Amino acid sequence: MSDDIAIGIDLGTSYSCVSILKDGQPQVIPNEWGERTHASVVSFLEDGTVLVGNSAKRNIITNADNTVYSAKRLIGRFYFSDEVKKAQAVMPYKIVEGESNSVRIQIRESVYSLPEISALVLKEMKAIVENHLGREVSKAVVTVPAYFNDNQRQATKDAGRIAGLDVLRILNEPTAAALAYGFGKDIKQKIAVYDLGGGTFDISVLEIGQDVFEVLSTAGDTYLGGDDFDDRIMTWLAEDFLRKTGIDLRLNKYCLQMLKEAGEKAKIDVGRDRVAHVHVAGICQDPNGRIMDLDATLQEAEFNRMVMDLVQRTFKVCDEALQSARMTVGDLDAVILVGGPTRLPILRESVRHYFQRETMVGIDPDEVVAMGASIQARALLEAKGGADHYLLDVTPLTLRVATVGGYTDKIIDKNTPIPIEKSKSYTTNRDGQEKVKIKVYQGESNKAAECELLGEFEFSGFRIAYRGEVRIEVTFEIDTNGIVHVTAADVETGQKTGCTIRLSSGLNEADIKSAQAKNAATTLARAADHQAA
Amino acid sequence: MDSLDPNFEIEVQALVQVLDELDYFQILKVPHEAEPHELKLAYYRESRSYHPDRFYQVQNVELRESVGRIYKRINEAYVVLRDDAKRAKYAQDVLGPDRPKKLRFVEESEQELKKEKEQEIGTTPQGRKFFQAGMLDYMAQRWAAAERNFKLALTYEPANANYKARREEAAKILKTQPGPGT
Repeated sequence: MSDDIAIGIDLGTSYSCVSILKDGQPQVIPNEWGERTHASVVSFLEDGTVLVGNSAKRNIITNADNTVYSAKRLIGRFYFSDEVKKAQAVMPYKIVEGESNSVRIQIRESVYSLPEISALVLKEMKAIVENHLGREVSKAVVTVPAYFNDNQRQATKDAGRIAGLDVLRILNEPTAAALAYGFGKDIKQKIAVYDLGGGTFDISVLEIGQDVFEVLSTAGDTYLGGDDFDDRIMTWLAEDFLRKTGIDLRLNKYCLQMLKEAGEKAKIDVGRDRVAHVHVAGICQDPNGRIMDLDATLQEAEFNRMVMDLVQRTFKVCDEALQSARMTVGDLDAVILVGGPTRLPILRESVRHYFQRETMVGIDPDEVVAMGASIQARALLEAKGGADHYLLDVTPLTLRVATVGGYTDKIIDKNTPIPIEKSKSYTTNRDGQEKVKIKVYQGESNKAAECELLGEFEFSGFRIAYRGEVRIEVTFEIDTNGIVHVTAADVETGQKTGCTIRLSSGLNEADIKSAQAKNAATTLARAADHQAA
Repeated sequence: MDSLDPNFEIEVQALVQVLDELDYFQILKVPHEAEPHELKLAYYRESRSYHPDRFYQVQNVELRESVGRIYKRINEAYVVLRDDAKRAKYAQDVLGPDRPKKLRFVEESEQELKKEKEQEIGTTPQGRKFFQAGMLDYMAQRWAAAERNFKLALTYEPANANYKARREEAAKILKTQPGPGT
C-alpha cells in the first residue's frame, strides 16, 4: 500500500476527472490516450469486462441495454422518486426496484446498486492514476454537489469504498473549486461559485480570509444541469422531424439515444460557433423501410430561447444563496464559473448580467473541481497538527425529525457550519416502553412528505419504567463530510442505547463487502477501437 | 507543516473537561460586547487551532475526539452569536440566574411556534380531521360543507379559537352567497 499519494476525483454526472498534487501544484492526470475528462459511462461487455469513459459512451447506442450513464442522477434516491421514474422513461438500461425502496440496475443476469456503478467509474479514475504513476494509490477525496443530501453523500462514500479507496473526505464541488482558485494566493475576498454541471446546479457564497475558506451559504438544484439543455435540443429536433415526416423518434429508445447524442453535440457546436448543423445519418426507417436522415440547423438565437428558462432557474437559486448569506451581488469581489455548460455564451452573458461583473475563468471549468479535490487530499494526508488552509463548510439542507400528523421539527438549520451536533430529549409515552423510533428527514418544508427521508432509527436498551420516567437524549451529528449520524443515550444513566434498525435505501456492511469483492474481480476493458474512433 | 505541540494536548484535554461549563462567549474567547467582525476573527482564530482537519493523521484517537468535540461547540457558538436575535436572547440568558441550564442555546421560539401551530390545526385527532376537511371545503368554496366540518371540529375542541374564527368566517360567507346544496 502506498501512503504518500492521495488523489482528487470529481465524480460528475456526465464526465469525471482525476487530479494529483505534483510539486505543490494540482495536475489533471490524462488517460493513456491523453483524455483529461472521462465520460461517467459504464458499459458491461459480453466477455464480462467493463468499459468506462469516453469509449464506453459510444456504446450507449451500440450496446444500449448494457451501458449505464448519468448514474449520479439516481444515486442515493428512492425507487419511488420522480427522478427515477423520469430516468426509467428515457434510459435504455433497466432500472429495477431493490430492497427497502432502493434503486438497482439490471445488466443481463446481474443486478447492481448505484454505488456499485459509480464504483466502476472510480475504479477507472484510480487505474488512470496508477497507470500514469506506475504505482498503487488507495486514498482519495471525492467531490459531490454541495446540495447533495445525506443519502447521496453516503452512497457516494460507499462507492469509493467499493472501488477499494480510502475516502478521506466527501468534498463539496464549489468548495473544491474555490480552493483551486484561492490556494496559495493569500486573497481576502467574498466570492460566489456558480457551478452548473451535467446534472446538478450549485451556488456557494464564500468568504476567504487568507487561509480560511468560510462557506457562508450554499443552495442548489439537483435536478438541473447541462443534460437538460441537451433535452431541449432533442425535443426541438424530434418535433421538427415529426412535423416533416410524421415519425416520432422519441418512441424508439435507439432513436432517442441518437437524438440525445445529436443534442449534446449541437449544444457544444452552437456554444462555440453560434450555429450548429445537425446531421444524423440513418436515424430511422419510414414505414416503407426507407432509411431516413436527420438534418437540422440550430441558430444561437433559437437555442437561447429554448434554454432561457433553465438559465433563469439558476438565478432563483442564486437569489436564495445570496439571501442566506445576507448579501447582494454588490458585496461580491469575484464570481467563479465551474462546469462544462458555463462555456456557453448564453450562460456567460447571463451570469455576467446577474452578478454585474466579469467572471473568473482562469482554470478549465471541467477540471477545477478535481484540482481542488487533490489539494484537499494532500492536505488531509499531511495533517499531523498543522494545515495550510481551513475549509469551513456548511450543511446544505435543514435536518428534521418527524413529529405527529405528518409534520417535522427542525433540528439543524441549513447553512449551519459543520461539523455540528444537536441533541433532543424524548420521553417514553407508554409504560414499559422498550423502543423509541425516530424518523429523520432533510428538507425545507415542515411537512414530512415534502422532505427527503434519511432513515428510521429504532433505539432500545434503555431502562424499562413507567411512561414519562425514562428520558432519552438523541444526538444528531453532521460530520465534516456532511453525513448525518444519530445516537441516543439514557439521560439519567448516561448509558448509550443501541440502534437496532437503520432503515434507509443505503447499503449495509455486508452489501459493501460483497460489492468490494465483485468490484475487485472486475476487469476494466481498454478500448481497442480507440484510435479508429 | 508544524508538528503537534505537547502543550497543545494538555490545553485540549483541559478545555474538554470544562466544555460544558463555558458559555459561547468563553468558547470563542470574545467579550460580550464583541462586534460582528471581531466575532468572525475569533471564529477564524479558533478554527485555525481546533479544526479537525489539522489532526487528520494524528494517531492519538482521544485527542482527535476531544478536538472534534471542541470544534463542534465552536461552530455551535458561532451560529448563535452571529445571529443578532439569538445572540441578544442568549446573552441575557447566560447572565441570568438560570445560567447553568442556559449555556447551550435552545430555540424556544420554534417550540412556541409549534404550540401556535398546534392551536391552529388542533390537538385532538378528530378535531384535526374535521378541521382539515373543513379547510379543503373552504378552499374549494364549498361554504356549507366547510361550516359543517368546522362545527364538528369544535365539538372535539370547543376552546380552539382558530376553529371558531374559521367557522364564523364560513358562516358569514354562506349568508351572503349561498352555494349549491344549501
